[in-house]
Amino acid sequence: MGDMPLFCVQGLAYAYPDGIPALSSVDLEIFSGDRTALVGPNGSGKTTLIKLLSGLLAPKQGHILYKGRPLTENHLEESRLTMGVLFQDPDDQLFGHTVMDDAAFGPRNQGKSREAAVRCARQALHQVNLAHLAYKEPHNLSYGQKKRAALAGILAMQPEVLILDEPTANLDPGQEAVFLDLLKAFDGTLICISHDLIFLYELCEKAVVLHHGSIHHNYTMRELVSRRSALRDHGLDFSFRMAIPASDVPDANGARVHEENGPGPGYTPSCDCAKVRESHSVHPPLACMENYEYVYPDGTPGLQDFSLDIHEGEKTAIVGENGAGKSTLLACLCGLRQGGEDLFFKGTRVTKKQHKALWRRVGLVFQDCADQLFCASVKEEMMFGLRRLGLSSDQCRHRAADALARVGLSGFENRVPLHLSGGERKRLALGCVLAMDPDLLILDEPTAGLDPRGEEQLMAILDTFDKTLLLVSHDLFFIEKLTHRTLVMHQGRIIRDLPTPDFMQDDKLCRFNGRSFSYRRHTATAIRQLQHEHEHPICRKWQRCHFRQMGLERCPGQARSLCNRVLGDALP
Amino acid sequence: MHISDGVLPLAVTIGGYAASAGLATWSARRIHSRDLPKVAVVTSAFFVASLVHIPFGPTSTHLLLPGLAGALLGPAAFVAIGLGLLLQSVLFQFGGITALGANAVMMGVPAVVCGWFFQQFKGRTQARQAIAGGLAGALGTALAAVFLAALLVAGGEDFFGVAKLALAAHVPVIVIEGVISGFTIGFLARVKPVLLQSSFQDAAGPMHD
Amino acid sequence: MTEVHHIQVPLGYLPLLVLIPAAVAAVAVPWLRSRFRKQVVPGSVPDWSIPPLDDGRGGLGTSLIHRWDVRCKIMTMLAYSFAVASLRHLSAAAAAVLISLAVLLAAKVSFHKVVLRVLALAGFLGMLLIVMPLTVPANPGDTLLVFGSLDWLTVNVRGIVLAATIGAKAMAVALLMEPLLATAPLPVTLHGLSRLGIPEMAGQMVLLSYRYLHVFSHEARRMTVGMKARGFEKKTSLDTLRALGNFLGMIFVRSFERTERVFDAMQARGYKGRFPEPGQLQIRMPDILLTGVWIAVGTALVWFDWMKG
Repeated sequence: MGDMPLFCVQGLAYAYPDGIPALSSVDLEIFSGDRTALVGPNGSGKTTLIKLLSGLLAPKQGHILYKGRPLTENHLEESRLTMGVLFQDPDDQLFGHTVMDDAAFGPRNQGKSREAAVRCARQALHQVNLAHLAYKEPHNLSYGQKKRAALAGILAMQPEVLILDEPTANLDPGQEAVFLDLLKAFDGTLICISHDLIFLYELCEKAVVLHHGSIHHNYTMRELVSRRSALRDHGLDFSFRMAIPASDVPDANGARVHEENGPGPGYTPSCDCAKVRESHSVHPPLACMENYEYVYPDGTPGLQDFSLDIHEGEKTAIVGENGAGKSTLLACLCGLRQGGEDLFFKGTRVTKKQHKALWRRVGLVFQDCADQLFCASVKEEMMFGLRRLGLSSDQCRHRAADALARVGLSGFENRVPLHLSGGERKRLALGCVLAMDPDLLILDEPTAGLDPRGEEQLMAILDTFDKTLLLVSHDLFFIEKLTHRTLVMHQGRIIRDLPTPDFMQDDKLCRFNGRSFSYRRHTATAIRQLQHEHEHPICRKWQRCHFRQMGLERCPGQARSLCNRVLGDALP
Repeated sequence: MHISDGVLPLAVTIGGYAASAGLATWSARRIHSRDLPKVAVVTSAFFVASLVHIPFGPTSTHLLLPGLAGALLGPAAFVAIGLGLLLQSVLFQFGGITALGANAVMMGVPAVVCGWFFQQFKGRTQARQAIAGGLAGALGTALAAVFLAALLVAGGEDFFGVAKLALAAHVPVIVIEGVISGFTIGFLARVKPVLLQSSFQDAAGPMHD
Repeated sequence: MTEVHHIQVPLGYLPLLVLIPAAVAAVAVPWLRSRFRKQVVPGSVPDWSIPPLDDGRGGLGTSLIHRWDVRCKIMTMLAYSFAVASLRHLSAAAAAVLISLAVLLAAKVSFHKVVLRVLALAGFLGMLLIVMPLTVPANPGDTLLVFGSLDWLTVNVRGIVLAATIGAKAMAVALLMEPLLATAPLPVTLHGLSRLGIPEMAGQMVLLSYRYLHVFSHEARRMTVGMKARGFEKKTSLDTLRALGNFLGMIFVRSFERTERVFDAMQARGYKGRFPEPGQLQIRMPDILLTGVWIAVGTALVWFDWMKG
């Protein structure tokens, strides 16, 4: 048994019922105890592969052996009870009436008695720190809690294999750190899909790269992240996410746009800020809230004593844990919710009547495109908002075409939004809003669910956006690149208002965003070092021994600066 | 509109229960037993859809959706509608618990009829599917209104006035429901035509293993 | 008593008797509804680490109804509801309402949920109360109210009584729903149903529907917000209907897709067409006793109703 692979996949092919091939000639071996990352751009067949591995789909060609036997009939039923699959959306997984019912579902199916199942469930809930909510109904949990409850439902089965599809999508950094710790503590076999290579780097040792339905590489994680050319080929280059000095970026599209447009906002906040600040005295702020209050219909306070001013041309980020009131704030700014009287737009008070017309001035791009796109063609989708602006049909067409070109979707007019890829849908949603030419553009978690290439394309579009931007995100790298002012929200208030670079260096920030932010910094640095080593092999040896001499192995921050210095000296 | 407790004579309520139990069994047999949980999940979507308010002049109305349910679910529509009505009655008190059987017949039979109608006449082009969907939507509501009136009339001469009024009140709803169903089916025909092949039929149920 | 009595009422009484009550109801019902929806459960946050209705000392709930075996409870209440629904006289129906109120007090259930239920009835019953007095045919022995010289506007008192009787019956049954459902967790109630011969899958389907009701209504709400953010406003127009058609279509697409994912998730955790049984039920002497008493009350009501002819 020792050297027999746990999963043995040979010549696997799968096509969807409509005939579109999803996977072809996949060969893969996964050994017991392996921690494998499954990476690839959106639509590369990752989810299909894990469905096949877990026996939810049957292969059309080739075979999958689990513990040496194909996944059919009895063996399939037994195998399912030893595998845990965590799906992306926790609502799909939490079908029980209470969290406890749900967590006990798996163990009951394993044949345990009710009491034993409840014991397992309770233990798993304890592990994910939800024991105190065991009998709550799932729809009354927050997103992070749901995600953990779903994991508990799987851990309660004490699986040998854990298969995870995007485990950290849409989680705030604090919750993400909790998840990382939980997964690190798991000692069985682990297969994880994610776009977040920094997270994967922390979690997995092996990396399998899928592209267009076949396996392109089967590396160790270290090898994968160090080969930028391979990453780039597969649309996985996330290096733009790491703080790279501008001169060091050889071919990143996003970064080049940056340079052509002069210094990006992320890097030269002081001068941008100064310009904006100058104009403050002349113009009233674009949007302004003074001691604004919002109370939910059920009586819970949403925003309290809330003061905010956003000036024309300003690029502002809002951060805060899930449930800090960010979405409520956005809804108030768009006129979808109506709180106190003290909301001003360009210096004039927004009356109750005008609240309903705020949509003309404020554009909102939702976190989940599915909430925003509901027409049968891209053209109709673009026209939906435009027609309501009262423009002539010529103007509408013109604006729609302009906006589509801006988001790189020209020629997509007759496509069905639902059939587009995740990245295209996101850009379409953005295009629909841009076409309406809002004074204030609000983005709610724009990077959720995007692969690195999609993120980069989005970044390139946003970089050319010259109006006022309000970005709500957990993604600190995006914030750093796109904004020059950061507001920290907590329990319905703004507790800090800083220039973004100061925010990035603020130590208290780490407490707010959990350790996740610091681990990301460290990991990013470590990865950069690996990439350097890979790209400049000559200095690797020399570097290593130098670091070792200086006792720097465990200090990536210093190592990085040293590495840069060394490389700067050593290479012309 | 759902009939509340105490309106119908005892014989009609019990007869309604008997008829709907029979129909539910028939409907459930037409579904692959493994697919029953799926029907339950889809039912909640219909439930939510039926809570959407449609403006109508100064007032608003909500959708009944028997036609659409029939078109999308086929024979499974009866189970789905029965389940939906049970939830409405139990959770929100829309429709009495004793009248549940009669209400299920009133909404479920039109649904199944419309499902059959839609499958017969949907044709192949998107435009024709949209029109067939619209007709199914209108027909479903019209039939439901007729059933409602018939059930009320069963209460005796005293209820004739109420029955007439109920019929009249449904006329605008029939039009609205028809138009919306047409648009919905038209949308689905372009975006996800698979859904128009009445899901959850025994033969069509996806078999994974 | 074989002819129709006509009572002349001065025209001035028309608003007093009809219009003002109708207006008050039209304002009060929506107001009460919104008020009671808003109301949050007061007091401390419940302890979610123990099963609901379990007071932590091993006993279920506090009232007699809470301790009642769920099968007996369902059977009794259903049978009783049918008995109430068959009543024909206002006095008997009013007695049924009083009995239901007494049960309500004994069961100590959430007051504002009960109010919401009663308000949900308001539409249908209000319609009956307005329509029936005007449309019930005048039988021999009926009393008609005629307002001034408005010959066409005759109010049949029998119609008012009939509508009031129906209202009282509906109310009596509706008031019992909360004690029936809120005194045991929903899965236990449904398990009880399955032990009474309803297929177990039916109960599981109710639970699943209930669970995903919340998920889909959140989805629908977010989509509505998405439409509003792009200037959508509901009007009586074809454009609105088209947008709503798309909206419904999108709800269905998303729900069918979710359905498949939920089913995958169930299978992945070993679902083979059956849900695990939620637990054991036990009937004890007091359960049967309570059932007996209740059935006796129901029988007495029906007998009282019959005695009145």
